[in-house]
Amino acid sequence: MAKIAALKGGETLQNCYGCGKCVPVCPVDLVGEYGPRKIHRRVQTGLDLFKADELWMCTTCANCLRVCPKQVNMVEVMPAVREAAVAAGDIPEELQLVMEKTFRYGNALGENPRRRHAWTKNAGVPVRVLTNEPDPVDVLFYVEDYWSYHPRGQQAAQAFSRLMTRAGVDFAILGAEEKTIGDSQRLAGEKGLFEALMDDVVQVLGKYEFNRIVTPDPHGFNALVKEYPKYGHSYEVLHYTQLLAPLVDRLSLTKRVDARVTFHDPCYLGRHNGEYDAPRTLIQAIPGVELVEMGRCKGNSYCCGGGGGGMWLDGFNANHLSERLSERRVREAAETGAEILAVCCPYEVSRFEDAAKSTGNESLKVMDIAELLDLAIG
Amino acid sequence: MDERVVVIGGGPAGLSAAIAAGQLGAPVTVVEKLGYLGGRPIEEHYASLTPHLADAEEVMGGMVHDLEACADVEILLESEVVGVSEGDAPFTVSIRTPRGVVERTSPSVIVATGFQHFDPGRETQLYGYYEFPDVVALQDLEAMLKEGSVVRPSNGEAPKRICFVQCVGSRDRQIGNEYCSKVCCGVASKEATEVRMALPDSEVFIFYIDMRMYGYWESQIYWPAQEKHHVQYVKGIITEVLPKDGKLLVRGEDTTMGRPMEIPMDLVVLSVGMEPSPGTRRMAQMLGIEQNKYGFVEAKNPPLDTVSTSRDGVFAVGTALGPADLEDCASSGGLAAARAVARLGTRVGG
Repeated sequence: MAKIAALKGGETLQNCYGCGKCVPVCPVDLVGEYGPRKIHRRVQTGLDLFKADELWMCTTCANCLRVCPKQVNMVEVMPAVREAAVAAGDIPEELQLVMEKTFRYGNALGENPRRRHAWTKNAGVPVRVLTNEPDPVDVLFYVEDYWSYHPRGQQAAQAFSRLMTRAGVDFAILGAEEKTIGDSQRLAGEKGLFEALMDDVVQVLGKYEFNRIVTPDPHGFNALVKEYPKYGHSYEVLHYTQLLAPLVDRLSLTKRVDARVTFHDPCYLGRHNGEYDAPRTLIQAIPGVELVEMGRCKGNSYCCGGGGGGMWLDGFNANHLSERLSERRVREAAETGAEILAVCCPYEVSRFEDAAKSTGNESLKVMDIAELLDLAIG
Repeated sequence: MDERVVVIGGGPAGLSAAIAAGQLGAPVTVVEKLGYLGGRPIEEHYASLTPHLADAEEVMGGMVHDLEACADVEILLESEVVGVSEGDAPFTVSIRTPRGVVERTSPSVIVATGFQHFDPGRETQLYGYYEFPDVVALQDLEAMLKEGSVVRPSNGEAPKRICFVQCVGSRDRQIGNEYCSKVCCGVASKEATEVRMALPDSEVFIFYIDMRMYGYWESQIYWPAQEKHHVQYVKGIITEVLPKDGKLLVRGEDTTMGRPMEIPMDLVVLSVGMEPSPGTRRMAQMLGIEQNKYGFVEAKNPPLDTVSTSRDGVFAVGTALGPADLEDCASSGGLAAARAVARLGTRVGG
């Protein structure tokens, strides 16, 4: 405990007085044996968290912090301990691979950086790449990894480009010069990698004139809003739903999408950054859509399991969990009777689509809000 | 006739009552069986008082000073009340002093005879208080803290790992003390904090059933002990202390994880509760005032009159009434003083 308390960020674990409020809202505990209180107690009675599998199970979703009377901040504790573990060479292999890919290629998927804007070809609208056309631009669209490379993410990126064009937004992307912001890598213990990426990101951003950054990734958004200013880098940053929500009238959404839709709040947009309305405004603007909420929503939204490195630890964590968090969440979505599970975090489409299949809920369609809006454009 | 308020007992509650009555201008007689005032904190060598860690000697000395500053105060040390007249007040109180038996007339007698620490030898868990030198009680550690030397009594070395075991002799039907002794959570936490300050390399655990830190004690004692001084609170009580390799193996259940727990300790501190002192039992009997099943004086009209007893003109204060912290002692002392002074035949205070 003293070793953890001595870490910057690790100070608050010892403050736990065991009330247990965190355990029922811990998404990991719902599918396993976890929760900050239990971690605290086990550390008190001898668990070496620096070497334990449990170190990697927290998704930093912050639902525990929301309810904690002692403000035990696992969103800081876990990354601090992970950082020390990583420095000592104790990191799950599958996560280490992602760190290496991120270091080498600037993206977590290990894809070719030159292919980062390959998706623009099929966008159906022109997408300006600043490297080639460096004129000042209003909105810098920071695409991030999963919208750049994952096939389902690319579809959302294309849809979002069409929406911005429709709304008359002046936008451009960095293309091959873009690297991931790497917030999840930071929370998974690679603060050094995050800081190295930040140097690159800040340098590239410094080359161009823009007013605002818009990103679909709540993780990158979180870092730009909360972490970058700590290092003296401040930008006006919007999540893409925050850009579109005030412009919804300009989209002229005239085509009906007759469907029951439920919405999954991303942890890093909702709980971490307080944005619950923009995505709902957009969903409800679509004619024909009936929005039904899941029991766990908004501040108490369930975690998809992808945060804090969880995106890359499904195999490692499988030993400890009865099912994936994404599977649990998909079952909750299906219980609402919804036909579509709407998301607005690039991690989620692939996670939830896999989970829909593995839980026998194939009829539940997982769609990014950008794709849903795109369907409704007349 | 010279009527006086008679206070039996010169500890924190008795002194509070005597000072308040004296400051109101009443003639006061304090009867103390020991050769000095100050009560348990002095008799048992407390290092500091809960919750603010004030030096016990200084604080009690300050109270004695305040008492002596009152106009008409008589302090009878090494003295005991040996008889009280029957019937209604005013009472004739017979007091045996080193100079012989004296009599005082009093319309109001205040019983401030206090508590004694539970004898851990009676604990059904067999913690080995009389068997293992390194098993001590709160007041033993308190005395070590006052000496400025926290050591293992077995070998004189500084302990590396220390634990407190809560609720020893309290909340136990088998023992007969069903009540919570109220102060032990705070006192143990206070001592744990002091141990951590004295021995920064030590690990300190507190094993508890419920942590009872009411009101401001939460933020005055509990949270700082945990957050600043790194005291480890573990919910789950120790049920066995076994000797092992020169250490004490404490065994219990980690109730919140539902599994057994076994940790070697260098020093085990039993957080013993409160029982009525022999003086409280004796005075209650002599005065003919009702006691509860535990032997403490029964307050007649709780909760808002905490000091009146079953006999008109006899009041009880502090731990003579049951487990109480120092704030309680000061409060009940003050209330009893007001009631006692109001019964004096002549108006006081000009």
